[in-house]
Amino acid sequence: MFIDFFYKLRDLGVQVSPTAFLTLHRALAMGLVGSLEDFYTASRSILVKSERYFDLFDQVFAHHFKGADMPDPKGLELDELARSMLEHWLQQPQELARLLGMDEKALKKLTPEQLLEYFKERLKEQTEAHHGGSKWIGTGGYSPVGHSGYHPGGMRVGGASGGKSAVKVALERRYKDYSQDGPLTQALVGEALKRLRHMAPSGPKDRLNIDKTIYQTTKNGGEIELVFDRDLKDKLKVILAIDNGGWSMDPFIPVVQTVFDYARSQFKELKTFFFHNTIYDTLWGDPARYRKPQRIAEFARLDPETRLVIVGDASMAPYELMATDGSIYAEERSGRPSIECLLFLAQAFRRSVWLNPKPAETWAYTRTISAIREIFPMFELTIEGLEKAVSRLMQK
Amino acid sequence: MTRQEPSNRFTGASRYVLDDELAKIVNISMALEMPLLLKGEPGTGKTMLAHAIAEALGMPLIVLNVKSSMKLVEALYQYDTLTRLNDSRFGDSKRDVSRIEDYIRMGKIGQAFTAETRTVLLIDEIDKADTDFQDDMLDVLDQMEFDIIEIDKTVSARHRPVIIITSNAKKDLSDPFLGRCNFHHIAFPDGDTMRRILRVHFPSLDKDLLEQSIAVFYRMRQIDGIEKRPATRELINWIRALQADPDCKPAQIGKGEPPYLGVLFKKSQDYQRAREAAARRRL
Repeated sequence: MFIDFFYKLRDLGVQVSPTAFLTLHRALAMGLVGSLEDFYTASRSILVKSERYFDLFDQVFAHHFKGADMPDPKGLELDELARSMLEHWLQQPQELARLLGMDEKALKKLTPEQLLEYFKERLKEQTEAHHGGSKWIGTGGYSPVGHSGYHPGGMRVGGASGGKSAVKVALERRYKDYSQDGPLTQALVGEALKRLRHMAPSGPKDRLNIDKTIYQTTKNGGEIELVFDRDLKDKLKVILAIDNGGWSMDPFIPVVQTVFDYARSQFKELKTFFFHNTIYDTLWGDPARYRKPQRIAEFARLDPETRLVIVGDASMAPYELMATDGSIYAEERSGRPSIECLLFLAQAFRRSVWLNPKPAETWAYTRTISAIREIFPMFELTIEGLEKAVSRLMQK
Repeated sequence: MTRQEPSNRFTGASRYVLDDELAKIVNISMALEMPLLLKGEPGTGKTMLAHAIAEALGMPLIVLNVKSSMKLVEALYQYDTLTRLNDSRFGDSKRDVSRIEDYIRMGKIGQAFTAETRTVLLIDEIDKADTDFQDDMLDVLDQMEFDIIEIDKTVSARHRPVIIITSNAKKDLSDPFLGRCNFHHIAFPDGDTMRRILRVHFPSLDKDLLEQSIAVFYRMRQIDGIEKRPATRELINWIRALQADPDCKPAQIGKGEPPYLGVLFKKSQDYQRAREAAARRRL
């Protein structure tokens, strides 16, 4: 019974063990499951052992028992992005109507789903320009930081499920926020960052080895010979710069925060800075990018062996990167285009990488990503990407 | 393998608002005699659930608070060598020094096994202990017995306890561990559920105060870049604080800086950010 269901779950990467499947049958045999609703709750709590798979489980369940669409990993990211942009715009219906070239009244007739579909169609036509064309994000008019009140990292919860059918509950996809579709998972980040820490000693030979000194001195017939060892402390210094601005990074912020949280515990010397979209003359020490400015010119004085890790989607309007006064924040206009600041950083720190949470196959479609890739070696924010990035940082 | 009597089913307790889904999962776990592993944001009532189950089923609750340095044997039993040494030197106790058994004290798991009635055993914050502890403990809970090495005796459970395990872990627990548990993730309650929860905690709460505080609370949860977002626990404490303040008027909560922010935001950075956000947006 339900063997298909079992294999479908396994095929899509939900790690269901045969034992758990047998347990489910034990529950069925005991008469504990009287309806499809019961089956949904029972099978989920018995088969699925992590909230990260709840969303996938919901989708497979809905598919198997109702014939809903199977999950399509490619569509997901666009979905997320479109949704977060739309949420933002829905607060300004006039703006949205203007951008979509629609009448405001016609707009109001559409349901959010229809709107999202329509919007996604338009977005597909313009994948390259979703950051580029100023009309599409409207950077000219207002800051896209947009404290829109929507936060994809936040929780969406169905609450009590009384009265709803299980398929409907499953279709609600309440656990989307915990899904593994995000590029990195918690467990993997720790693993990958550990590699950074397990480094060969790099400090100067300044620790006196007394045993060897005595041995060598006796061997020399009393002529004192001092033997020094390397200090075995991990000398790695890391600067982490995170793009935490605006909604274009919003779908990725939980992931970036994961990296950040782990990084904090992994290194002894770690400086974390924040920026929005790209780096101009200043990086910020506080996540609000307000209180603790740090001029990048001063970075030249830091140890050039410091590893610079930048995390960002590198997606923005081209002028933000290239123009002399490209910043969307007036106070950041300094007369130096961002791309020069990035070049400066790449020269100041010989070993630097850029981690991009967007999938690598989409990089070619965004001009600013291509431009930044010429300056920094760019890697995906996935476990493989991180591994490559780490080996790059370790290169002599 | 006996079926649960209807009276033995868990339907909720006086101070805990339970959704149907969770009630079903608790009942299934009890029937299958498997531990139930609960995860979820801190402050969403994982620990409360065990208390509620114990209350609803009329079973005693035994809580094992896991600590990082804990050894499994501490949770099972303790051999009180010090008292025995003391007794052997002064000999003024009623215990028989030659009987080691008199100096064995049951740990929390041992207590649950030897209890007269069926108990609810809450193993709180399992993620704090190392993986070996977790796996070994599950072995004991699977077998429902353990050995006391000092007296070469096996303690078997008289009644299989209802086992609830909570975890705050970001990382997943080990596979063999997960394989032996049922799993549920307590999601953060939505507005309606939250209203019901607050009604249970504050039956006579002023309606305006309830609505205003919930509205402001959910808006504050959404402030970007908060490290520890306030949860149900914080909201309940906050309302308690608001109630205690005779000058607090419900209509004023949403205007300007909400009072007693420190009850909701406990990290100084979060507190600052919440204040800034309040000043900017008039929460």
